[in-house]
Amino acid sequence: MNLKISALDYVQEVKTGNISAEDFVAKTLERIKNVDDALHAFLSVNEDAITQAREIDKKVKSGKKVGDCFGMPISIKDNICIKDSKTTCASKMLENFVAPYDATVITKLKQQDAIFIGKVNMDEFAMGLTTEFSAFGPSKNPWNTDYVPGGSSGGSAVSVSAFECIASLGSDTGGSVRNPASFCSTVGYKPTYGLISRFGLISYANSIEQIGPLTRTVKDSAFMLNMISGIDPNDNTTIDNKNEDYLSGIDSGIEGKKIGIIKEMMGDGIDPAVLTATKDAISKLESLGAICEEISLDMVKYSVAAYYTITATEAGSNLARYDNLRYGYDFSLEGYEFNSYISKARRNFGPEVTRRIILGGFVPSAGHAGKYFLKALKVKSKLTKEINEAFKKFDLLLSPTVPILPFKLGEKIDDPISLFLVDINTVTANLTGKPAISIPFANSNGLPIGIQLMANSYQDKHLLQAAHALEQTVSLPEVSL
Amino acid sequence: MVTEEEIEQVSKLMRIDIDDHKEFVEKVHSMIDYFDILDSAGVESEEISMPEISILNLRKDEYIPFDDKLIEKLNHYKGTYVRAPKMSS
Repeated sequence: MNLKISALDYVQEVKTGNISAEDFVAKTLERIKNVDDALHAFLSVNEDAITQAREIDKKVKSGKKVGDCFGMPISIKDNICIKDSKTTCASKMLENFVAPYDATVITKLKQQDAIFIGKVNMDEFAMGLTTEFSAFGPSKNPWNTDYVPGGSSGGSAVSVSAFECIASLGSDTGGSVRNPASFCSTVGYKPTYGLISRFGLISYANSIEQIGPLTRTVKDSAFMLNMISGIDPNDNTTIDNKNEDYLSGIDSGIEGKKIGIIKEMMGDGIDPAVLTATKDAISKLESLGAICEEISLDMVKYSVAAYYTITATEAGSNLARYDNLRYGYDFSLEGYEFNSYISKARRNFGPEVTRRIILGGFVPSAGHAGKYFLKALKVKSKLTKEINEAFKKFDLLLSPTVPILPFKLGEKIDDPISLFLVDINTVTANLTGKPAISIPFANSNGLPIGIQLMANSYQDKHLLQAAHALEQTVSLPEVSL
Repeated sequence: MVTEEEIEQVSKLMRIDIDDHKEFVEKVHSMIDYFDILDSAGVESEEISMPEISILNLRKDEYIPFDDKLIEKLNHYKGTYVRAPKMSS
């Protein structure tokens, strides 16, 4: 049984009867059992997965209609609700929270006969980019377990990279799908804002976050997007994509496409190996017929400060609901006054979430809003104008996904500013609502490097075509774990 | 400069107890210091643009029956009420 196959190959194999969903799911669970003690991608595993797979095999054998996933095992970031399953957000505050309903993406995947093999680790409430801020311990990078896997969707990337599932869903607020995808050598896709419903995604910063797939190949991301995108009455920010087929024409290539290379994303602090890989990617795209040219985006250097100001503000508001009365852990009410009870109960948030809640109270407060929050919104507006101008000239924008290589666990955990700067290349897509993808492209001394492509809003299909073309130019090693 | 008193006041407003104010002052201060870069962005005259979201496609305002008793999922409830500590007078 080859657990390394792509989603599309898996579907074909089950459809034609070459493999059974039950066997594949059983082997996947065995793989999780064998490797996850070392990797800690999973927070919980679906004990009913084999039974569910057996049901799908029955449907295949009896000639009944089967959904497009054919029992494909998918891992789900633990901030996306699956009815009657724990959804912890990797937080002690929600350690025993069982979701009473399905997120829209889960409903859609259930309709397509996906199997949710387990819920995966993340930074607490998606605040972080190493998975070290999980209340349940960090995930480890399967390429070298001394290194961080990226975050906040670190468990998603690890589970795909280490063959513990075929695909995963993460969420991307400032790069949280693309960053771990780059660090673990998987594809990570952040769609145009509104393309995928956020209903059932536990909110961090609603105005910029999106659910996105992490997969082995670009085609698999397009396949996932076909199933989970589209308008949703439960999320008023969703857009009607007219059931666009993101897989069709994915081999169209990029001949004649104009690609802007963002100067500010390749500047000070970039690792020489990342720079070399990026230059190599540019050469390969040019050899495929693309026209590459440097572009400067002045606002990029302010984007991280604007991003953290906006997200802290939204997080401060979103996390106010965790008062331990409606949701929460076992903490007796007796002997407390109302406000002191809530303040005490909220001590169960981890250090990073606590910092962001405090920041979220500070930056929009009277006396400071003009200096921080309003200015951040203005940077966001100006950055969006700059990007929109850029897309009048270019079809795509390119940069390394992350300017540095994966780093060691614990190396940056006490230095929030150096962690902030890891986000410099990814937050622009979130602040401007544009689609962006990280494509595995190189490997330096055993550590992966991803290349990011960004497109204009609603150009997701063209972005996937370009990403597929770039992906075809490289052959990368696999995790040897 | 963010003071310990400011952090204390904000933590009170955000309803979260913190053990070591000094530690938070140090870390929050370094973050706020970094945010000062926004002063040099030259965006004073920029207008804040917000995406327009249609209110025509809102979901129907209707009761959706639920199989389980949601209240039973709470840690503290009595009958059909959420239990909470007493408010101070």
